[in-house]
Amino acid sequence: MSSSSSSQLGLRLLNQASLILFAVVLLVFGVLSPAFFQPANAVNILIQTSSTGILAVGMTFVLLTAGVDLSVGAIMFVAAAVGGKLILGGWSLSGVLVVMLAIGVVYGALNALFITRLAIMAFIVTLATRYFGRGLGLRITETRAMNLPDSFYELGAARILGVPLPILIFAGVTLVAHLVLTRTPLGRQIYAVGADVEAARKAGINTRGVLFVVYVVCGLCAAAAGIVSLSQAPAVSPSFGNNREFMAIAAAVLGGTSLFGGRGAVFPGTVLGAVLIQTIETGLNILNVNSYLYPLIISGVIFLAVLLDAVRSRVLARVNRRRIFVEAEPT
Amino acid sequence: MRRVFLSEYLVLWLSLVYFAALAPFTPGFASWSNFQTILAYLLPLLVVAVGLTLVLIIGGIDLSVTSIIALASVVGGKIMSSEEGWLAGHALAVPAGLMAMLLVGVGIGMINGFAVTTCRIPAFIATLTTMMFVSGLAIWFTLSRKIGGLPPSFVMLGQKLWIAAVITGVATWLAHVTLARTLFGRWLYAIGHNAKAALVSGVPTARVTFATYVLCGLFAGLASILFTAGLETGNPEMARDNLLDVVGAVVIGGTSLYGGRGRVVGTVFGVLFLALVDNSLNLLGLNFYTVTMVKGGVILAAALLDAMRNKFLARG
Amino acid sequence: MIEFRNIEKSFFGVNVLKGVSFTVPPGQTVGLVGENGAGKSTLMNILGGNLPPTAGEMFLNGQPYAPASPRAAENARVAFIHQELNLFGNLSIAENIFIRGFPRKFPWVPWIDQRTIRVRTRQLLEEVQLARSPDTLVEQLSAGERQLVEIAKALALDARLIIFDEPTTSLTSRETDRLFAIMARLRERGIAMIYITHYLAHVQQLCDRIVVLRDGQVVGAGEKAELPIERMISLMVGREITQLFPARNTKPEAEIALDVRGISQPGIARNLTFQLRRGEILGVSGLMGSGRSELARILFGLDPCATGEIVLNGQSLVGLSPRERIQRGLAFLTEDRRAEGLCLEAAIADNAVLVSLPQFARGAVRLVDRNRCRSAVDKIREAVKLTASARSEQPVKTLSGGNQQKVVLAKWLLNEPKVFILDEPTRGIDVGAKYEVYRLINELVARGAAVLMISSEVEELVGMCDRILVMRRGEIRDTVSPHEFDRERILRAALHDGSIA
Repeated sequence: MSSSSSSQLGLRLLNQASLILFAVVLLVFGVLSPAFFQPANAVNILIQTSSTGILAVGMTFVLLTAGVDLSVGAIMFVAAAVGGKLILGGWSLSGVLVVMLAIGVVYGALNALFITRLAIMAFIVTLATRYFGRGLGLRITETRAMNLPDSFYELGAARILGVPLPILIFAGVTLVAHLVLTRTPLGRQIYAVGADVEAARKAGINTRGVLFVVYVVCGLCAAAAGIVSLSQAPAVSPSFGNNREFMAIAAAVLGGTSLFGGRGAVFPGTVLGAVLIQTIETGLNILNVNSYLYPLIISGVIFLAVLLDAVRSRVLARVNRRRIFVEAEPT
Repeated sequence: MRRVFLSEYLVLWLSLVYFAALAPFTPGFASWSNFQTILAYLLPLLVVAVGLTLVLIIGGIDLSVTSIIALASVVGGKIMSSEEGWLAGHALAVPAGLMAMLLVGVGIGMINGFAVTTCRIPAFIATLTTMMFVSGLAIWFTLSRKIGGLPPSFVMLGQKLWIAAVITGVATWLAHVTLARTLFGRWLYAIGHNAKAALVSGVPTARVTFATYVLCGLFAGLASILFTAGLETGNPEMARDNLLDVVGAVVIGGTSLYGGRGRVVGTVFGVLFLALVDNSLNLLGLNFYTVTMVKGGVILAAALLDAMRNKFLARG
Repeated sequence: MIEFRNIEKSFFGVNVLKGVSFTVPPGQTVGLVGENGAGKSTLMNILGGNLPPTAGEMFLNGQPYAPASPRAAENARVAFIHQELNLFGNLSIAENIFIRGFPRKFPWVPWIDQRTIRVRTRQLLEEVQLARSPDTLVEQLSAGERQLVEIAKALALDARLIIFDEPTTSLTSRETDRLFAIMARLRERGIAMIYITHYLAHVQQLCDRIVVLRDGQVVGAGEKAELPIERMISLMVGREITQLFPARNTKPEAEIALDVRGISQPGIARNLTFQLRRGEILGVSGLMGSGRSELARILFGLDPCATGEIVLNGQSLVGLSPRERIQRGLAFLTEDRRAEGLCLEAAIADNAVLVSLPQFARGAVRLVDRNRCRSAVDKIREAVKLTASARSEQPVKTLSGGNQQKVVLAKWLLNEPKVFILDEPTRGIDVGAKYEVYRLINELVARGAAVLMISSEVEELVGMCDRILVMRRGEIRDTVSPHEFDRERILRAALHDGSIA
């Protein structure tokens, strides 16, 4: 009897593992440095999370279908390279933004085409397009860094009703994504496809269409993330966007998205994961921790979170294990 | 023609055809010195690819292999370097360094194995996390610097191609025999096909899975020896951009990402093909970025062929 | 109301259906029986829009009916409830029912009308008597409850024809009764049904008409009364089966092979104690959910047990891994061969040799002797009478259910087990293959091994076993000896909580 109730308590705790981890991190940093709890700091964290956060939200769509998109960093790069060239060539900012988003859509559509029509695994397709995009971006930028005019920077510094634009974009993307996933038929069908794609097909769901959409969404978010990233550091270096996909996946997984599909949420899940990672980085910065240690600490935290999730699954399985009979009450 | 398409030697044929097709147009493609260049690129890649093949067959994945190569590289350098190494000039510097590099691979492999078997963390995210950690560790270890001054007896292992070839050949052959002829190898395939059925049938799945990740780490450590010796430098970012080369080559070679399917021979052909493509494009004077783009296209085409072949086989 | 006229279907020149013709009158339930490979699934897949026929026509209420996809079939109000349920565990009941066509709150806007689907789902759940909230995630439901959700889906379509493919395989006895009650209600509403099953007794219980397929042809069709079980079997198999169970000429010995004492695990098993003798076939009966498979898994070491002792030929098994128990002579044929019994993509030979592989491995490096493997596989293939047309290199998934089960048996028999635990050894396999399995079991115990046979078919237990244990709620309620074999007594013990008379 006691083991069962302690399991229940443990399960309840584990279900909120990410939240608890977040609280612990906040506590630790708050204790170690009072500067941490300044409101300006919170805003700062949110601004810096925006780019990765948008990337992670798009990635969540793909992960929900048990897929993966390893090319998002390359998409960011290509979109930024093209956008940079155009704006340096005199295009208007709004025109450039539209083109960049369009590139994200097209790139995502290409990924989707290979995955759905040619039936090649997402891992391989996006691996290959990652190579391709990286090469393309380097070709466009001629392997040199491009410094962009201030119009991008102004985008990053702009505030609407006192809220910095990057945060608004992030919030907007998250809101739309959340509504789509929870309130629209498409969203529920995404979860269905992730749970069992064959069953989804048999149930009459247009699985090809659903998969197509998720990769396009992911590409679009990648381009948007590129825009937000440029708004904070308006330069396109040859390593722009490099390896960003891994952080995006980590943020989503941290937020509870399962790599096997069918499980996860953008809010609070993925957003929390992205904010958590950035919070740690910012906190370490404030504490003047050796910057070489950042990746060690962050990956350590991710490992802890993933471990807790694995433990949670085990406890859940044990608690839900079919009981043939209930233990007799003491006579 | 159909038989060639369906045969397991498809990629080998492809490589030969590719070579024959490009040789007339590519200056120096068929020369002896170029052959050595190809070999220098191919050998270390093959070693790590073989290790990865084992993990893929069991249905897992190891994204940390290249970061293992980086960490082993700097650890070895730190021990052996005559400029700044801990055992600089010591008679046992090289053996100790070699031992250490292999142990780094084994150690990280054990961490991966532990995470996947005992902690039941999905391999993708477990090895992704390990990759981030180990990579950061390598960079921190040397504060982003490269380590030079490696003793000639060590460098010889990579620079003297015949030595590197022998090491690679032996390691590859051992992996092939293990996979194709031993009990352990059969168990790998069984677990890759259906881990639950394997467990019920008496396969010690946890131990075999753990051992596979350790072996993968060991091979990565060995590859690091070849990489480091060949480049004569301990580099904390060694092979960082090669991860996808490795995975791509293994997949081209016919190993399935789902597990249960794959052969060392296939991986050899896959690495060969990728090396030929990489080398020929460089010789043709194409830019780095064009080479990258073409590589992406090649991996895609190979995957497409594999998908088509599977559909064909399933129907027949 | 549905008429098949000369339906033919061939795959790559192989004729799977040859001129099948029969009708399903409106509001009637037709049972479709036949051995595996007879063509039942193919025919139903054609009806359900999964496959096009090569020739022939179908008519629905007199109108030509040729669905191009499952969706088209559903639009024609034909619902197909597959054996592997098509439900999404991570979605709610309501979402599962409406996954294909969510009612929208505003036309043209993709916004789900939550209230409407909740109300409608509640109505449907009431009709199928499932007392669960529409927002319950399907993964929290039992197999029987999920079955009811599938039926609710069919009702949501306003189906006039429902096809049931082996619906009772994973259901408890109570859930089966509930299913049959609902089917009776559906009949009253005039819904026609086609019911595919291997449980011939159920066919007699439920159906108005019966159609028997063999080798892709209709070999018998008629009212229920015209086709009693024996007639069905003989039509299915094509010969008179005078005996379903092979003769046994050996008796159990005195020596105890497996001594099980006091096995207990909270919530799973209560003080399980019994002895299994050499040469004995001990049956384990009980309703689904009584703890039989759980007992087997504990004996084999897949699941833990808190207390108790298991002794095999003098050696204690407690604390040993499955591998170690196999080395001491234990074997376990699991309930679900696809999930835990076979590597479907792997070759027949590889599957057959998997358990005994260590015996073929020599030297410190454990090199596998391929020749000895091959000859062992050839021998065991003959012993189990595996279909000769299949090559040993073929993936095992290409075999029929009966042949697949033979491969699993071969795998264990190759290791010459001393104690063989069989969990539902003839589930989902046809009559001919069943006989083969029984024969193999008899041969095994004739050689001195001991068999623990778990089965839900009481006839099977009565026909094969020397003794039968009856389990209920994790306990052994009764041990029935041959001269007391009485179907009623066994069922009573399985159902009652009180003491056994």
